[in-house]
Amino acid sequence: MLLETTDLRIGYLDGARNMKLAVDGVSLALDSGQTLGIAGESGCGKSTLARALMAYTRPGSRIVGGQVRIGGQNILDLPEPGRRAIRGRKIAMVPQNPLSSLTFHMTIGAQIDEILRQHEGLSKAAARARSIALLEATAMPDPAAVHGRYPHELSGGQRQRVVIAAALACQPDILVLDEPTTALDKTTELKVLKLVSDLRDRFGTALIYISHDLNVIARVCERICIMRDGKMVEAGPTRATFAAPREAYTRMLLRAVPRTTDPSPVRPPTAHPAPGGPGAHPVLQVENLSYHYAAGGLALPFFPRRKGVLAVRDLSFSIRAGRTLGLVGESGSGKSTVAAVISGLLPPGGGTLRFCGTPLRAAASRRSTDLRRRIQMVFQDPLSSLNPRLSVGRILMRPLRIFFGMNPIDARAEAGRLLERFEMPVAMLDRFPRQLSGGQQQRVALARAFAARPDLIVCDEVTSALDVSVQDHVLDLLLSLQAETGTACLFISHDLGVIKRVSDDVIVLQSGEVRDAGPTDAVFATPRHAYTRLLLEAAGSVIEPIPGHAPVSPASQGTNRGDLHA
Amino acid sequence: MLSAILRRIGLSFLILVLVSLFVFVATEILPGDALDVSLTDDDLAVLTPAQLAEMRAALGLDRPAAVRYVDWLSGALVGDFGTTILTGAPVGDIIWGPLRNSILLAVLTTLVAVPVAMVIGIIAAWWRDRAPDAIVSTGAVVGYSLPEFVSGNALILLFAIWLPIFPATITLYTQGPMLDMLVVAVLPVATIIIGSIAYLSRLLRLGLVESLASDYVERARLAGVSERRIVFVHAVPASLVPTLNAAALYVAGLLSGIVVVETVFAWPGLGLELINAIRKREVAVVQAAVFLGAVGVVIMNLMADLSIIALDPRVRRNTGRS
Repeated sequence: MLLETTDLRIGYLDGARNMKLAVDGVSLALDSGQTLGIAGESGCGKSTLARALMAYTRPGSRIVGGQVRIGGQNILDLPEPGRRAIRGRKIAMVPQNPLSSLTFHMTIGAQIDEILRQHEGLSKAAARARSIALLEATAMPDPAAVHGRYPHELSGGQRQRVVIAAALACQPDILVLDEPTTALDKTTELKVLKLVSDLRDRFGTALIYISHDLNVIARVCERICIMRDGKMVEAGPTRATFAAPREAYTRMLLRAVPRTTDPSPVRPPTAHPAPGGPGAHPVLQVENLSYHYAAGGLALPFFPRRKGVLAVRDLSFSIRAGRTLGLVGESGSGKSTVAAVISGLLPPGGGTLRFCGTPLRAAASRRSTDLRRRIQMVFQDPLSSLNPRLSVGRILMRPLRIFFGMNPIDARAEAGRLLERFEMPVAMLDRFPRQLSGGQQQRVALARAFAARPDLIVCDEVTSALDVSVQDHVLDLLLSLQAETGTACLFISHDLGVIKRVSDDVIVLQSGEVRDAGPTDAVFATPRHAYTRLLLEAAGSVIEPIPGHAPVSPASQGTNRGDLHA
Repeated sequence: MLSAILRRIGLSFLILVLVSLFVFVATEILPGDALDVSLTDDDLAVLTPAQLAEMRAALGLDRPAAVRYVDWLSGALVGDFGTTILTGAPVGDIIWGPLRNSILLAVLTTLVAVPVAMVIGIIAAWWRDRAPDAIVSTGAVVGYSLPEFVSGNALILLFAIWLPIFPATITLYTQGPMLDMLVVAVLPVATIIIGSIAYLSRLLRLGLVESLASDYVERARLAGVSERRIVFVHAVPASLVPTLNAAALYVAGLLSGIVVVETVFAWPGLGLELINAIRKREVAVVQAAVFLGAVGVVIMNLMADLSIIALDPRVRRNTGRS
């Protein structure tokens, strides 16, 4: 057996100085050339486990029991120099965030060369030649030039290739990939996954792939382990496990994954249905919206300022009461700019905005209090949009007092009702944002937005930082609140599955331009633009059991490689 | 990269011109002109208005302020600060000796404080939250809080009075031979570096702790890169980037500390000369000393900026483009 762990336990000291187990009795085995996926939600211990496979723990935690055997030898018995000799040579790691995992003041080449020189004692010239060959193997364009560049000069996808090349430098037997594509766009992710599969075929490396994304694991791995609270709850062949999960937890995870094939938004029936639906009046009408980012540099006489980058061009849409418009695109597509313009955080460069039939003034500071009440915004990171020094109660009472002039007693009672509506106990009114989980924080942020009884709510990637099961819950709440209140919603996301779940209509943005638009069902069923098809393919769920089929490798999906570095 | 460097240098010159304008205006808006300020009340009582006007004309004080400023600035940029009103001696001659002595003090301090602070900072960061870190951190708080007049006098007590190794005060005049100055510089330098080492090592420790906990250091560790390379090739250069600007500001602030040290040891430097000039109301010398002090601060910041350009490729590109 190439890699084997038995009863591995990793402990850390919690705030009260008690030893807690982050990984609790995990045993797994991997033979050469095999692929194993480790899945689980945040905090389940999967990344801690990954590092422990290299006999490494972060400061504050340590391996308290069990064995990690590579080629029959327990590497936990080795002294530090012996461990270092194994890391990078026998087992290598592709870390989570390629953007922060390269030393910013060293060239790409220096960071690959040093690994080769350390482990194989190569000369400077020999190391350089090998590094360039490695970069070439990861399909990096112009590898010799990239060798001399700095990390910030490369795109996220290219940096991920560098990190993969560095991990493969000494042709390790095992490659551990810790959420290697989470920080990347979906289309880039697809290309990186294909690259990993290609390299595995070429070098015969065994893969351990760690991800919270079951779809990604299904694309790459023959076998899967599901982790929860440091324990392995289920393990088996990926296909069989997804077809017939034994554990309720696995079933729950599978159910929570939003799919592009899901039915259109299902809003629960309510006792007092709010006005809304296809025939309702348009809440927001946007015509020919354009936006340029401001040019850089000082405004000096005689030196014309360079024209800013175009963020959005000629965007037109309207949202009716009680309906949701999904805005989908990858990073840099301009979707967050649209949200900022509508909420008055950025002035529109061109075009007209009409809100409930009347023209909308540009800057939020120049809009009336009532108009600001009627347009509410919810952001991706709830922790940074909730004031850390205010209790949940004070956070929810503020809009009630400012917009409706409620007295403190009524406002607190109303805040309690809002919390309960968002399925949180009233006792949470006295807690502070930092004491809540990510899902709870985002529900507080949503409750604050709904406290203003808005006509339009703009949601910018509100579930992107959440685990799938939590995301599922938050989306359910959003849909049912919308059914009750008839609020129109502009929902921005890069995740097509999420968009499909909540949006009646969809607009696909790329580089600030509309690629596809229309009812979500129609656009997803018959995409007109090649970019929409590419996004759908990248987001396509492969975890549905397909009888008699091997796990679909990205290689067989025939992506276009052309615009990889765009 | 070149354009980034040129931009920084150009900006430094702009700042110097603005500082000189500020110094000039500050002395100009005081009641009375340079002559009134320089003369004693007795002189003023004796001299007739006609004599005063004549003296003004001789000194060029009757010309408009703008003309005198341009005149002064064009001289200052080539090291000519004019002459004093009372004695007519060239300011350059008066200021040159103290300037050399102050530079000597600054260079010696930097040469000792920076390497020592780096070693201590690295030790503290490497053994973070362990005994060496605790010792260094406690020592740093004490060293940083100690006022120069206390540590300076304590050092005099120890090494000049109880153990008569070094002179207690400096009897050399401003133009003393360099080698003699080096010997008597030991105690003043020791006084200044106590605070400098404490502050700079804390600063470096902070930056280093952060970069040692970064994703890129973890990636290098998991690739089996040796700890020595991780500390000295990956982490230390990265931690210098945030440290340098703060260090430059600190050294600039040190100028005020140096005045205290120069007073304690009677070190014939620029600070002491400035205080003397203010006491003797030699406006031209005050202007020159303040301007040279500003030059020192600007040079420190420029050096910090240029080192950051050398260390951080991101800065190179950003400033190179815009």
